[in-house]
Amino acid sequence: MTSLSQRIRLGLSILRVQLKNNWVREAVYRTNFLTSVAVDMIWITVEFTLFGVIYANAPTLAGWTRDQVYFFLGVFFASDALFTIFFQRNFWNFSDLVNRGELDILLTKPISPVFLSLTRWINLTAGFNFLLGLGIIIRYAESAGFPGGWHWLNLGFWLLFGLTAAVLLRFAFSVWIFWTERGFIFSRLYYQFFSFATKPDTLYPRAIRYLIMTALPFAFIGSIPARAVIHGLTTPEVVVLAVVLISFFFLNRSLWKAGLRRYQSASS
Amino acid sequence: MSWRLAALKNGFQEDAAYRVEFFLSIFSSALVPAAIQIILWYALFQLGGQTEVAGWSYAQLIQYTLVSTLFTQVRGGDHDFDLQEMIRTGSLSNYLLKPISAVEFVYLRGVGGRLFVALVCLCIGTLAFAAFGFSIPRLWGAMLLAIAGNVIHYQIGAVLATAAFLWEEAYSLLMVKNMLVQLLSGELIPLNLFPVASQWIWKSTPFYLYVYGPTQYALGNWTHSEYLHGLGMALAWMMGLSVLIRLSWGWGIRKYSSLGG
Repeated sequence: MTSLSQRIRLGLSILRVQLKNNWVREAVYRTNFLTSVAVDMIWITVEFTLFGVIYANAPTLAGWTRDQVYFFLGVFFASDALFTIFFQRNFWNFSDLVNRGELDILLTKPISPVFLSLTRWINLTAGFNFLLGLGIIIRYAESAGFPGGWHWLNLGFWLLFGLTAAVLLRFAFSVWIFWTERGFIFSRLYYQFFSFATKPDTLYPRAIRYLIMTALPFAFIGSIPARAVIHGLTTPEVVVLAVVLISFFFLNRSLWKAGLRRYQSASS
Repeated sequence: MSWRLAALKNGFQEDAAYRVEFFLSIFSSALVPAAIQIILWYALFQLGGQTEVAGWSYAQLIQYTLVSTLFTQVRGGDHDFDLQEMIRTGSLSNYLLKPISAVEFVYLRGVGGRLFVALVCLCIGTLAFAAFGFSIPRLWGAMLLAIAGNVIHYQIGAVLATAAFLWEEAYSLLMVKNMLVQLLSGELIPLNLFPVASQWIWKSTPFYLYVYGPTQYALGNWTHSEYLHGLGMALAWMMGLSVLIRLSWGWGIRKYSSLGG
C-alpha cells in the first residue's frame, strides 16, 4: 500500500519526464510554435473585434462595460491556454486510446491510467497564449474595476478553478468513447457548447444561464472567474460551484469505471 | 466525367454511413451559434434597453440570425484540411498516379454532404418563407450565391494547403482562414454593424458572399442589381482562384518528394 505522499512524488516524477519529452518534441517542430501563436492571435482578434463592433453601437451590455468584457476575455484566454498547455492534446488522443486498444499498456502501469492518459502530451508553445491572456488582464484590470493587490492571488485561484472545470467537462464529453465507435462527434459537441464560455454568463437569459451554471457548466471556465474577481460571488453561487464540480468529479469517476468494465481492448 | 460522379457518390455514401454523427454535427453547428447570436441581441435590446443598433431593430436582427443559419450550414466543409493532410503524409502520391485532378477529386468527395445540407436548408427555408410571406425566388437565388461561396471557400483552402509543400503542415493557416471567415462572412453579426471606417475590411474579401450576401438578398435588403453584382464578384473570385490553384499546385508538385512534402 503506497502512501499519498509517495503517490504524489511518483506523479510529479512522471510529469517531469513528460515535460522533458514534450520539450524535445516541440524543439523539433519549431514552426508549430509560430503557427499556433498566429492561430490564437487571430482567435483573440476575432473575439475582440466582435465585442468591439457591438460596443461601437451600445455603451454597456447586460451591465458589463467594454473594458470589463475585455478583462473577461483575458481571463478566459488565460484559463483556456492553461487547458491547452496541459490537456487539450491528451483529450484529442483520448478516443485513440480506447479505439486502438492503446489503453492496455496504461492499465498495466502502477499508477492511475487516467493520470497517465491525461498528462502524456503537453503543448508548451501554448505558454505564449497564457502570457497573452495575462497581458490582456493586466491591460484592462484597472479600467474593469479589478481591485489589484492581493486579489492577484485570488485571480490565480480562479484561473485554476476554470482549468479544473474545463478538464472535468471535457472528460465528461470524452468518456463516452467506451460506448461509441467515434469520439469525434463528442469533441465537436464540446466545442460547439464551448462557445457559451466565450461570453459573460450574465448576458444569457435565465434558462440558459441556469444550464451553463449546472448541467453544462461552461460559465465556470472564464465568466465565473472574471465575475468573482471583479464583482465577487454570492454565498449561494459559491455553494452551486462546489456542488457542481464535486458532482462532475463523481460522475466522471463512475463513468470511467463503467467504461473500463466495458473496455475490450482493441475491439472496444 | 465518370470519376467526378463516382467521387460525389463516394462522398454521399461516406456521410450516409455515419448518419447520426452527420446530423448531430449539422444540428449542433446550426443551433449553438444561432443561440449565441440571439442571446447577444437579447442582451443588447432586452437587458440593455437599446431600440435600434446601426439601423437594425431587435426583430430584424433575430430574422437575420435565423435566415443566416440556412447559409452558414452550406458555406462550411473542411475538405481543404484533407488536401493538406494528403501532402503532409505523402498520400497525395496515390492521386497523382491516377488520371484525375486531386484538388477537384477531394472537393467533389467532400461536397456531397454539403449539397444535401443545402437541399434540406432550401426545403426548410422555402416552408418558412412561404409561412411568413418572404420571397421564395430570392431564397433560391441566395442559396445559389451561398453554394458559389462554398466553392470559393474550398478554392482558398486549396491554395493555402499548398503551404504544406513548403512547411511541416498547413493546418494552422487553414484554421486562421476559418476564423477570419467566421467573423467576415456575417455568420456572427451582420457586417454592416462594423463601423463605417472599417467596412473596407470585409468588402475586400469574398467571405461576405458566403453568408451576409445571401442573407441580405433573401431578406430583401439587397436589390436585384446588388445580388447580380455579388454573383459577378463570386464568379470573378472563382476564376481568379482557379488560376491561383493551377499556379500554386504546379509549383508545389515540383517541390513534392512524396515523403511528406
